[in-house]
This record gives sequence, structure tokens and C-alpha cells, in this order.
Amino acid sequence: MSSIDDHSPAISAGDGPQLPRGLRSNPLRDPSDRRLPRVPEPCALVVFGVTGDLARKKLLPATYDLANRGLLPADFVLLGFARRDWEDDDFETLARKSAKEHARTDWNEDVWARLSGDIKFIPGSFDDDQAFDTLAETLDDLRDSHGIKGNAAFYLSIPPSMFPVVLKQMQRTRMADNAVSGGWRRVVIEKPFGNDLASARQLNALVDDVFTAQDVFRIDHYLGKETVQNLMALRFANQLFEPVWNSHYVDSVQITMAEDGGIAGRATFYDATGAARDVLQNHLLQLLALTAMEEPVEFTAEAIRTEKIKVLRAITLPLDLGSYAVRGQYDQGWLAGERVLAYRSEKNVPPDSKTESFAAVRLGIDTRRWAGVPFYVRTGKRLPRRVTEIAVLFKKAPHLPFSHTDTEELGHNQLVIRVQPDEGVTLKFGSKVPGSMMEVRDVAMDFLYGEAFTESSPEAYERLILDVLLGDATLFPRNEEVEASWQVIDPLEAFWSGQEPQLYRAGEWGPKASEEMLAKDGRGWRRP
Amino acid sequence: MTTLWDTSGTAVVQALAAERRSGGAVTSGLALTLVVVLAEKDTTDVEAAVSTASARHPMRVIMVMRHNIDAPVPRLDAEVSIGGRHGPGESVVLRMFGRLALHAESVTLPLLAPDAPVVAWWYSETPHIIAHDPLGVFAERRITNVIRDADPAASLLQRANDYAPGDTDLTWTVITPWRAALASAFDTASAPATSVVVSGNPADPSAQLLAGWLSSRLGFEVPVEKAHGKYISSVSLQFEDGRNVQMTNEGYKLLMRRPGQADTIAPFPQRSTGDMLAEELRRLDADGPYGEALGAVSGQTGLNERPASRTHIWHDPALAAREG
Repeated sequence: MSSIDDHSPAISAGDGPQLPRGLRSNPLRDPSDRRLPRVPEPCALVVFGVTGDLARKKLLPATYDLANRGLLPADFVLLGFARRDWEDDDFETLARKSAKEHARTDWNEDVWARLSGDIKFIPGSFDDDQAFDTLAETLDDLRDSHGIKGNAAFYLSIPPSMFPVVLKQMQRTRMADNAVSGGWRRVVIEKPFGNDLASARQLNALVDDVFTAQDVFRIDHYLGKETVQNLMALRFANQLFEPVWNSHYVDSVQITMAEDGGIAGRATFYDATGAARDVLQNHLLQLLALTAMEEPVEFTAEAIRTEKIKVLRAITLPLDLGSYAVRGQYDQGWLAGERVLAYRSEKNVPPDSKTESFAAVRLGIDTRRWAGVPFYVRTGKRLPRRVTEIAVLFKKAPHLPFSHTDTEELGHNQLVIRVQPDEGVTLKFGSKVPGSMMEVRDVAMDFLYGEAFTESSPEAYERLILDVLLGDATLFPRNEEVEASWQVIDPLEAFWSGQEPQLYRAGEWGPKASEEMLAKDGRGWRRP
Repeated sequence: MTTLWDTSGTAVVQALAAERRSGGAVTSGLALTLVVVLAEKDTTDVEAAVSTASARHPMRVIMVMRHNIDAPVPRLDAEVSIGGRHGPGESVVLRMFGRLALHAESVTLPLLAPDAPVVAWWYSETPHIIAHDPLGVFAERRITNVIRDADPAASLLQRANDYAPGDTDLTWTVITPWRAALASAFDTASAPATSVVVSGNPADPSAQLLAGWLSSRLGFEVPVEKAHGKYISSVSLQFEDGRNVQMTNEGYKLLMRRPGQADTIAPFPQRSTGDMLAEELRRLDADGPYGEALGAVSGQTGLNERPASRTHIWHDPALAAREG
């Protein structure tokens, strides 16, 4: 039997996520025992802004789902912090209601009963010193009464403008200090991570200063999706794809993230942000990085980040931005059988707004693997359907022994990773049309996760919260990645600033210029 | 769905191919073939389990029901369907009569999904020697269910005698929540354990496997002490630093009691056979910890070093009965 290790928690917290403390010391944990779930150490989850939309629709239900799946430790406390004159009970009622409404798994009264005993609420505003003192004291008390051993994750579900105040408070009360707490202290922040390089750097410096850089978890919920993780399995667990995953065989890559919805409820935020900052900077560049990165030497957070940063830093913008960077804004139109408003007519949007709801850009990656391969990236609202996919288009065969008319319908071979919906992979290749003539046309071979499989696969938030509590940073972008992404976006924003966005009718695949951009290169968008 | 009466194996293969072709969007992502051996009376239970599991693992299910072996004329009835009551995958139900039942593999082999792993599951009545059943010989993974045998404890010992890596039993799957809870109790331990006692029904295979697993991991004997309840009632842990933990199963809750700390309650998920089958199908390699636990229960060593493949041993139950 191995001996119980006696590292102080402050040291072992930094030992990396691959080997959680339990695995080294716990005689019951065996790496070959794959049935046992990964359960975090005793800890508290502190949610700031717990009355907000995100907390109610995602965080609280995800916490319940984790509890229901038996993935929370026996010693666990959920602490809410918000400016409400509330008792623990009031918070419990809210948490119960939102968990019941939005939980993915079945409602189980016993599970809730167990969780409800460990739900605390601390009222206060963010500039209220006393409230933060109470919070710090509560966390200290819970160490003994609930056995949480000083471990706590702080989820900042609040507007970024509030970050400095809250972080300063944590610094003052030394709540964020691993050594003082005797356990680990982690912080979770949501996008936007700044709105340009300078503000991102400022934010990173602030968070990384209050917490240590490795204790900061930036949530990009796209990375919690099953298919995104499957992309790494597809690329690095197989021999079949890697040899052709380069400029010798790949003609171009198209990454699309389309939404059919408008900007409901987010008008003020969205109008100040726009599609490029809202989606391109984070989700799309992360998907691009995962598609284009070199193979990490091992499947660990550190190794994956190293490769992602390399590729993000190698991204180049086209010299001719006028032709290869398109921004659009939806006009009124018909979508899914309903008339929808123009962007400028939406509530809380100024009638002369120049904010883009569509962005498409051609990016290049200056590495030996990708030199000369264009990465076409687009995102937009009020497009015909909600879909996110990565399509790798291969070059056409250098010589076709068939006559031209035989292969008229033959397009590029494609490998498509469907991120949502219908998670799966499609391979498109040419095949003979049955009959006495030699005709070749494209057929698609589909791999689809079973309907119920995707339903029961964990919600991205559930997975990500669990990873935070476990200290596994594999699926979280780090500060350098955020900064490298802004380095791509900043020149684009500078070029676009003051320009009038091109209008497109709601329910179309973006403005005409987006089609022209690919047509100029002799290509066309794949219809997802 | 296609139903075939008094048919042949070739006709069943053709019917499956026809269903696949005419079914429109074909599910082509088959991960495995599951061969279930069951009795007619278990159909409802098995169908429910299979439809749950096949929603999580794309698979082809072949259900084999053997009927009166001494019937004078062998006969095969079959049902072929895709996306029906057996879940989203492909399913073939085979009813075999007469001597054909002893040659079930002759119908089953051509129906296996090409180059996909094969899992055999005996819903009840595990063969005494798995090598006697040709369906267990070509399967990479074999799942038994000793709790449905007449004497489960004796059956479990026989599983150890007959063990080959790749075997598991559902009485082991049942205790995953217990094992998870115990492992997380040990996560917070600051000193080694000195004694652990499982309380419950000493004859229950799950209680035995849990004690066996604990013994094999902790390196000292973990007994099963008689207490109320048919299965596992509680586990108590004693640590070197004087700390002790009492974990009690209260219906679908697990109560954890530690002196000086508030009691905690964790949910014990209510899992159906389908959920457990789905857990089994997640991994298709040998389950080493099960082999070790089974070894500890039976007092045998080196279970996991045994050869993983079996050779079919001809066994005729009619002949065996006559010889007594």
C-alpha cells in the first residue's frame, strides 16, 4: 500500500492536472480502473452575480446535474453572492427553481435535498468591504464545518467592468491566496476577455496578479463540446488523416458559425461589441487553432496550449483587407417562415448603428504545414440555420483519367467536423453513379452520434465546471492565447472602424461580398 | 421490421441487408455487436435494457433464444429491425429450436458487424463453463449476471474458476457507485486505513466483490459481516490517525458519518439494467480491477495473467443429462 502523501496543498495544487492528488496517494484509485468517475476534492463553488441569466440558466442547473450524476464531492458548498437582501433560504428557492427548470438530468428530490443543505448566500454589493469580509470568514468557517479544506473556485458571472472591483476585494481579503487558504483558490471568468489587445492585457495582468496564472480558468463553452474534443481524437489518434493534413493536400479550410437568432436581450452589449469581437476572437479562432495546430507531445493542458499558441501567433491577415475582410449587418427579411426585423430596428439598437452582425475573413497561417492554405472564417446572426462546422476541403486529384464530362459533378473531397447540431463527422468523396455510364459524383459518408447519445452527453458547462473543480485546464484558453487572438482581431477592427457594414437580408448566408470574396479565389462557400 | 418463420441464416443476413438499404438514412457508425443470450420470459427486461444501451453506443444487437433442444426438427425463426423497440441500432432476434440451438454460432457468425468487437451477454443462466457456449468463444467481452442464478455465491466462485480476462459480471457493475464513494472518501484521508469492514449479506456476490476489491487494493483482509439487508448495508473505515468514517446505504442515498463533522448525504443513482449494460459497453478491454477483486473473493491469484481467449469445448446438454 502506498503511503499517504504529505505535500502541503499549496504545493500539490501546482503539480498539474494530469495526476490529481488523490491518484498518487489514494490506494483505491487505479489508472486502469476506468469505471470510477473523476470526483473533485472537497471544495466550495462561489458564484458572483448569482441572480444573472447565465447563473440561472447554466451554472445552477449544471451544478445540480453534476450532483445528480454523483460527480460532486461529499463535502461541497455552493455559495451565492449578489446584491439582494436575501437569506440562505431565498437563494435556495431561486437555485431550486432554476435547476428544476433547466437541468438536463431528471429531477431527483433527494439529490436536491442533499445539495440544499450546502447552499449559502451572502448579500452585498461589490464595493462593500464588509460583505467581502463576511465571505472570507464564511469560507474559513466552512473549512471545519463542511470539511472543504480551504478549496474554493470563484465564478465571476458578472459584467467585465465589475472585475477590477471584485478582484481588488479578493486581494484585500487575501481570499485568492493559495498559501493563506491552505487549499487551492481558482477563478473562472467568462468572455469577453477584454475588447482589444490593450484591455485584454490589462484584464489578464489583473486576474493573474490576484490569482496565479495557472489558477485562472477562462470559459469558452465551445471547447466543452464533445465534437471539439473529438477533433483532437480524430486528428491525433488516427493514422489516416494526419498525412494529408497539410498544404500538399488541403486546398482550403472553411469554419462557419451561423446563428438563426438575432440579438435578443443582448442589444446593448452586442451593439458595443459586434460579431468579430463576440465570436470570431474567441470561438472561431479557438476552433481554427485546434484544426491547425501541430500534434501536442502529450495530451496535457500545458502541451496543448503550447501548440495552440504557436499556431495562433502564426495567423496572418490578408494584405488586401478590402477584398478579404467582409462585415455585414442584417436587414429585415424572412427567416424560418417569420418576418424578422432589421438589426437597426431591434430594441435598444441605435438606428444608425454601424455594428456588424456578420463577419467573414480570409486568414493565413505562416507555418510550413499551412503556407498558402486559406482559412475562410465566417460568423453571423440571422443566417438561414444554426450551425457550426469545420470543413477541410482537399485539393482535386492532379490528374483524372476520366473525361471531363464524367467528372463534372465531382467537387473537392471534404472532411467536415460538425460541431453543432448533429454532432459528428462527414467525409465527402466521389463515387460512381450506378449505371452503364462512367459518371462520378460526390457522396457523403456520415458519422453521427446517436440521437440519445448527444442528448445524454454532458452539457458543456457541466464538463467545464467539473474540470475547474478538478484543476484540469486542458479545455481552457490561457492568457497568451487570448492576447494572440486579439492581435489578429485588432488590425481588422482598425480597418473596419468607421466603415458602413454591408447589408444582407435576414435569412441569407451573409452579404454578397462574402460570396465574392471566395469567388475571387475561384472557390465558394460550402452550404452547411 | 421483417419477420421470418422457419427460415435459414442466409435469409436473415439478406433481410438485414435489405432493411439497411431500404431504411433511408443508414446508421453506419456501428461500434460493436452485442450478442444477448436470453430466455423467452426475459424478453421484456432485455429489450428495455438493450434500448437504453443502444441509445448510447451505436451497435447491432443479436438476441439468441434457445428453445427445447430435444425438439425433433431444428428450426429458426427471426425478426430483423432497425430503429424499433430495441433502440436506434440494428437488431436481430433469433429463436432457435431443436439441435440448431447447440450450433447457434452458425447463424450468428455471418450476422456480426464486420471487424467490430463482439460482446456476449448472458442475461440469466450463465453457462457453467463459458467455453461450452460457442457464442462466448468468439466474443472479446463476456458479461454474466450471477445474481439471476440459483446460487449466486457459488456462481461467483465458478466465475473465478472459469475466469478469462474480458469477463465481467453485472454484480460488479452494480457496485461502481459504492466504489466511487469509497474512493472519494479516501481522497480526503490524511493517514492510511487500518481496518475496513463491509456489512450486509455475506452471501451477496456484490458485497463479496466490494470486500474483495477493497482487500486487493488495501493489502489487508476486508471481511463481509452479517447485517440486515439483502445486499450491502454499510461500510466502515478506520484510519491510522483515529479518524473513522461510516458509510450507510439508505435507499437511494448514501449517508456518510464522520465524528466531528456534519453528516453528508450523496445520491445513489437508481440505475436500470440498461444503464449498467451501457457502462459495460463503454470499454471493451479486460477489466483488471474486476479480475483482482474476483481473485480476492475466491482466494485465487493470477486471474489476469490467464489467456484471454477460449477454445470451444463441445458440450451436449442432452448427453450430459443422460450420463448424469
